[in-house]
Amino acid sequence: MTNQALYSQISAKWNNSFNRLNRGEPGISGLLSFSQAWRTATAFLYPQDLNDPSSYKEYSIQDVRASFDTLSKSKMLPLLMENFLENMRQQQYLVERDIQKYMTEYEAAGSAEAIGRLLFRLVDWYKAWSPIPELGTTLLSAYTLAFQTYIYSSFPPSFSRGFKDLIASTFDLVNASCPPPWALPSEPQASTSAAPPRPDLPLWTACETLGLLDRYESLIASVCYEYIEAHVLNTCAKKWDDSMLVCLREWMAEKVVPWMVMPYARGARNAEEARSMLQGVGSRFDYHVCKTLCDLRTQEIFDIIIDYPDSQPALQDLKECLARVDQRSELVTTLRKANKKRLLHPGADTKDILTQYVSIIRCLRLIDPPGVLLYKVADPIRKYLRERPDTIRCIVASLVGDGESGDSLVDENEPIQPLQQKQADDFADANWEPEPIDAGPNFRTNRPTDVISTLVSIYDSKDLFVKELQVLLAQRLLAVTDGNYERERRNIEILKIRFGEAALQVCEVMLRDMTDSRRIDQHVQQQKPMPLHPTIVSRHFWPPLQTSSFNMPGQFKEIQDAYAKEFHIFKPDKKLHWLPHLGTISLEIELQDRTINAEVPPLEAAIIELFSSKDTWDVAELAAEMKVDKTAAIKALLTWMDLGVLKEEDVNHYKLLEVAEEAPAGTKTVSRPAVVIEEVSAVLTVQRQQAEQMKVYWNFIEGMLTNLGALSLQRIQGMLKFASGYDRTIEQLAEFMEAARREGLVTVKDGMWKLHR
Amino acid sequence: MKVKIKKWHAIAQWRWDTGHNDPDDDGEGDVCGICRVPFEGCCPTCKMPGEDCPLIWGECTHVFHMHCLLQWIGTASSKQQCPMDRRPWVTAERKVDANNPR
Repeated sequence: MTNQALYSQISAKWNNSFNRLNRGEPGISGLLSFSQAWRTATAFLYPQDLNDPSSYKEYSIQDVRASFDTLSKSKMLPLLMENFLENMRQQQYLVERDIQKYMTEYEAAGSAEAIGRLLFRLVDWYKAWSPIPELGTTLLSAYTLAFQTYIYSSFPPSFSRGFKDLIASTFDLVNASCPPPWALPSEPQASTSAAPPRPDLPLWTACETLGLLDRYESLIASVCYEYIEAHVLNTCAKKWDDSMLVCLREWMAEKVVPWMVMPYARGARNAEEARSMLQGVGSRFDYHVCKTLCDLRTQEIFDIIIDYPDSQPALQDLKECLARVDQRSELVTTLRKANKKRLLHPGADTKDILTQYVSIIRCLRLIDPPGVLLYKVADPIRKYLRERPDTIRCIVASLVGDGESGDSLVDENEPIQPLQQKQADDFADANWEPEPIDAGPNFRTNRPTDVISTLVSIYDSKDLFVKELQVLLAQRLLAVTDGNYERERRNIEILKIRFGEAALQVCEVMLRDMTDSRRIDQHVQQQKPMPLHPTIVSRHFWPPLQTSSFNMPGQFKEIQDAYAKEFHIFKPDKKLHWLPHLGTISLEIELQDRTINAEVPPLEAAIIELFSSKDTWDVAELAAEMKVDKTAAIKALLTWMDLGVLKEEDVNHYKLLEVAEEAPAGTKTVSRPAVVIEEVSAVLTVQRQQAEQMKVYWNFIEGMLTNLGALSLQRIQGMLKFASGYDRTIEQLAEFMEAARREGLVTVKDGMWKLHR
Repeated sequence: MKVKIKKWHAIAQWRWDTGHNDPDDDGEGDVCGICRVPFEGCCPTCKMPGEDCPLIWGECTHVFHMHCLLQWIGTASSKQQCPMDRRPWVTAERKVDANNPR
């Protein structure tokens, strides 16, 4: 029963299959014609060896078509396809052999041409094996998929590198007048025998045929990125005086867009279509241009700022790029790093730091008007400047347009405006905008935009500036001897606008003291002509002046007293209190054989006055007489020795030279560092005080070098430490020794110092 | 040797001649008993020291900024007395600047 059913079932299937293959033909004639058709079809589809032309057979297309028809009626096409693909798999070694051949060639020569030829060869293979289109798209697409899978699996790893080279070479190919031989298919078709519209067209067509465009899409894009990067770096590096972004965009339109048409818009039938196809990828490349330029300018930012304002176009570029590419934080990081490395170190002048800071302010305001970038970059600079001792002095000096310090920080053309204070938020402001998204918590939109206000705001209070300004003004006014201080007056007027009238009230008093002094002096001179012209100051309104207790001797005292008396007559309520050590005296010294003119500080004048009563003096004696310390006395004596008026007869024993003496060359003069007569300013700087004291130590150094021969700097420093009150650093000593070397007193060799004999 | 002074630019400070202080005094000097500002400074209402903010001497030998004292005298509670010793204020005419009204 069961067998019966099984049997009938098998028999039904058999009959069914037989009928399918026999297609209802009489007898088995259908079966025979089917096997004939199968043979023809498989032979026709069989993947031939391209290298072996003998295997080619001519098939009549009618026969082939009839065979396929037969197979189709028998519903055997799927089986045929399987058979074909299996045959292809077996024949694949032929293609593989070719791939290996070309790849070896490429690796040997390193030239992308081999890759190009390989692609064309693969296209040939693909076309040779391709089934005719009449067989339907199913077979064709199955074939294409299989073929592509086979070749992809056969590509060695070096292929992608080679393919990249090949794509890179297409940039030159676009503009070639005629394509090089390797860029043409091996069998030019009759229809394209005339030069193809574009030299690179065949290559791109080949790539598309092989499906390489989709597979290597990111690689192709990366080639273009690299091409753009190379161009940007080549043309824009260190070129800041021209807006490069415009040039770059022109270049993109001229060079890159035509190239892009091939890989990205080959199918476009007209310009309109091409444009829409290129839009997406084009904006990606434009972005990359911006990004590359932005990166470049970010790397260069420190030097760009140094070059400001010549580098303004570069800053404009950077601004535009930053709007497109969000690289603001990179810019901040880079600039902060550069500042730390190149600016904020002990080797940089405070003046230079300030100049660069001002440039940074101007540049970053240009790039980012709200000032978020500036706020982030400026913070370390401001912190650093706050720690520098001479920052205020530098700022003040540039505020009053210090002539000697060269270019001022302040642009002459900028309007002078009052210092801006932090403003309270205006909650009723209709135009209020939120702070930029990357602003820090301490950021305030309405920070001062004026450069001077920014500089002054480094410090919490502007009182420090006013104080420093006062010192500077005092120094200048006291140095004025010809009564011309118009410049100072003008500066104060300008500064009043900035700091406000009240803050500079003290300076106003100082200026009035100058005027009053002149008026008083005119009056006194009318009553009794005198060589003395004092500047009479209001104490409490001037910075602390040096005090000293000595009294002018002899005729000086008389003149002082006479003047004070006249003053008291003129101003009965007031009296004068002399600051004897300040000011300058112009002297004429008549000696037996010569007359010497000198302009000296009062102490020097006093000393020489003492010598007019007695020919020889001891230092201690002089110091006691003048009520000054020995150092000061020696310094004054040195001045006169330089002028050849005095002579050190014995140690610390000085004699007046009524008759000039030929200085024995090289012996006496060597015994001390040469003294430059300096104008002693009323408010001594710390540095100068130290230099003066250092001269005292010269005697020690000289003794050391005489007794011990050549010594290293460390050794000298070590020995000097034993001297009382010596507190110099080794750097200061080195500076001093260097100065002595310039004077020709010592020589140095291999770090060992010795006396110059 | 003969030393001849051709030109001498000196620096000096002026002081009020109050008759009290030592001529060599380098300290802060005396202060006005009313505003506690040094005599050589100026009273709180003035900006310029010196003739613009003069002193006033009393018979009692006390000295003040003129403006300070006048303001004090102007108040009812002063009873026209010197603020230091409560004696009736009498200005020592001799010392007042001739240019000033008082």
